[in-house]
Amino acid sequence: MSDHEELESTVAAWVLGALEADEAASIRVHVEGCATCQQTAARLRRAAAALPLEVEEVSPPPRLRERVYVAAAAARASTVPSAPARRRVVPARRGWKPTASIPFGRLQALVAAATVVVALLIGLAAGNVVGRNSVPPAPVQVARYHLVGHGTLAGARGTVINLKVEGVALVDFSGLPPLAKGKVYQLWLITPGGHPDSGAVFVPDSNGGKVVLVGLPLTGYSQMAVTAEDAPNGSPTPSQQPELSGPLS
Amino acid sequence: MELYDRYAGLAYAVAMRVLGDPGRAEDVVQEAFLKIWTNAAGFDPKKGSLRTWLITAVRNRSIDYLRGRGAHERQELDLQPDFASTSTHSDPWREVSLELERMAVREAVGSLPAEQRQAVQLAYFGGYSQSEIADMTHVPLSTVKGRMRLALEKLSSYLLGRGLYPTDSEASP
Repeated sequence: MSDHEELESTVAAWVLGALEADEAASIRVHVEGCATCQQTAARLRRAAAALPLEVEEVSPPPRLRERVYVAAAAARASTVPSAPARRRVVPARRGWKPTASIPFGRLQALVAAATVVVALLIGLAAGNVVGRNSVPPAPVQVARYHLVGHGTLAGARGTVINLKVEGVALVDFSGLPPLAKGKVYQLWLITPGGHPDSGAVFVPDSNGGKVVLVGLPLTGYSQMAVTAEDAPNGSPTPSQQPELSGPLS
Repeated sequence: MELYDRYAGLAYAVAMRVLGDPGRAEDVVQEAFLKIWTNAAGFDPKKGSLRTWLITAVRNRSIDYLRGRGAHERQELDLQPDFASTSTHSDPWREVSLELERMAVREAVGSLPAEQRQAVQLAYFGGYSQSEIADMTHVPLSTVKGRMRLALEKLSSYLLGRGLYPTDSEASP
């Protein structure tokens, strides 16, 4: 078998995502310079793209629609251009060292969006649309905190938006480094007595960002922290000292 | 949320097929929709439909969860053109068309020899590499490559024969 035939025979595995990274890189280079393989890849990719259609649709739980709605509002707000950032230095705490700063303008945008979302959700629940006629605005119960990284997570940040009315919180992470193979990030809620409860397990996107929804009320917890734990389910307890953390007060 | 209402069922089903975990499936579906909404300006209809973009994102993130892979290790499936409309507007014909396509895909996949079907399903829904599939199924790597190639070629021909896919020339941007 010639080199070309060998590579061409691998195109199907490539379009199915079934090659190791180095193999994929090799065939990508070949396909870019080979008209025959380009046609083959295009044809087979269209077939591969049809594969998910064989799956029978499953209705997602109704709460997912609300989760997506809330998270989308927060994510959109986080991309709203804001005034030049002011910076706030957070005092260091023993054992948890949030010494870096957070762009204040971005926080304002996030909180403003969360406020709108909460008010809208309250309004919808009451059968009203916020802002219509003379309906008074619902009381806003939103608190925000921030997580600051150090050590190997020195560039990582997290903005916590606690939607008290909903009993959930959103955490908008940025700057998270890629995970080692077989690892996930795990978010911990820690009581004043030092007991950690798992809040979520997640993998950041390719830019190191992620909006995580914590489906627990933050009441009774004094700190939030993030560690890297074994995939896919994380760990019952943190296996390492957190390098991304912050107070929930 | 019209996009959500239209595609959440398919997105969630794909995530469940890969992950088998409702909680994780919700996470990846949420993330995929966020990806679309926060990157809407970057969406290029010439490169494929929103549906394909969404489902590809769901599949890729599901596999990441399943295998515990970071983004730096990911070999994502690329978005490619398909015949589906890129519009998000309501269109009864599109719903009928989608159902017809799904029926055709099920028929096509169902008609594949079991070993070919298994090879593409292990890769697409299981995230296994061709080498892992060869080990799991106790056949030479060249056999796995051949099964994948034959399966996708048959699927392509089947769908093309039913007018569900553009020809190569039609698909080119």
